[in-house]
Amino acid sequence: MGTAARWVLVLAGLAILAAGAYVSFAQSGSGAQPWDPELSDNFVFMRVVPFVLGLGAVIGLYRAGGRKGTVRRGDQIRRFSVGTVIGHWIAAVGFVLALPTGLWQYLGGILDVHLDLPLYLIYRIHYIGAALILFSVANFAAYWWVNGDRSLWPPRGGWRRHLAGFALELPPALGTRLAAWLRLDLDQQPRPERFTFYETAFSFPTWTFALVLITITGLLKAMRYIYPVPGPVLYWASTLHVAAMVLLTLKVLDHLRYTLARWPLMVAMTRGWVSESALRHVLDTASRPGPRQPEPTLPAGAPAGVAGGSER
Amino acid sequence: MKRLVAILELLWAAVNVVIAYLFVTNAFVAKTAIKEGLPAQAALLLGGALIAVFAATLARQSLQILRALAATEG
Repeated sequence: MGTAARWVLVLAGLAILAAGAYVSFAQSGSGAQPWDPELSDNFVFMRVVPFVLGLGAVIGLYRAGGRKGTVRRGDQIRRFSVGTVIGHWIAAVGFVLALPTGLWQYLGGILDVHLDLPLYLIYRIHYIGAALILFSVANFAAYWWVNGDRSLWPPRGGWRRHLAGFALELPPALGTRLAAWLRLDLDQQPRPERFTFYETAFSFPTWTFALVLITITGLLKAMRYIYPVPGPVLYWASTLHVAAMVLLTLKVLDHLRYTLARWPLMVAMTRGWVSESALRHVLDTASRPGPRQPEPTLPAGAPAGVAGGSER
Repeated sequence: MKRLVAILELLWAAVNVVIAYLFVTNAFVAKTAIKEGLPAQAALLLGGALIAVFAATLARQSLQILRALAATEG
């Protein structure tokens, strides 16, 4: 797809979003509707969501069309494109807005405690954060779908190798238990390529799961303002939305811990560029070296042969 | 820059410790048991404990970075 055609796509997405948002805000702000601020926000959010997803998708398509391969400047290599870096930080802002407000809504409901701040403002901030996350989900899904880049995901038939690499990156006590549980061969000492095995075998799949879960359940919850969603579906959507929120809270904490300890990864996600030697150092030191660790001591009562991978 | 990021992450960890505290303590109050039932109490307890562990790990990592930076400069 040519550059002009891709720009037309993005401008069309922006124009459609602007038109959709204008109609939604005009209706809620007309004074003709008997809605309180919270209900009004609910309607605006639900009506704007398809346009936000659409804009994310066309920007993802735009980016995929202009994707370049590996670019190098001396020792510096481009790990992420400008679009990926911006998209990542848009998602980060979305999390910073949506997670604390979501947690407060949940805790406020349980504790029956309220801030001086009106509740509709908490919801409004939550919806802005959620819109940014939805935009990012659509953006990255379209981008990866079209450009075919699957480097953050273990290839077909490669899961055991990536899981073995991940087990070797964990603290020995945890890694050997995981390997015993999944019957992984830790002797093969796989070497990571673009991303660490922690990123490919654990982090990215769990991000994907949590984001898909919170997106589907959030959309189901929001849909009730334009479509009669059955009560049990709404109950489970709400329950799983909270579970996904807690999972994402844990993911953010773990992601921050992991990248702070590996500063070149943080630099790469800020500048897009990183020193190849620094990145190689991160990748090569992610795994614990040396021979196979001794098998873990099994708790009393555990079936014999599990740690050794026996088929008995 | 690394120091600023470490401080911000330490603050984020502290906020999460408060959230974990609210989760865990409210798993045991009568109001939760009456309003939400046992599954919600268990979910609060488990969620709170996990958030506390992950927040403590992030705080430890941030403090290690800050100490290492201070040692380098000192």
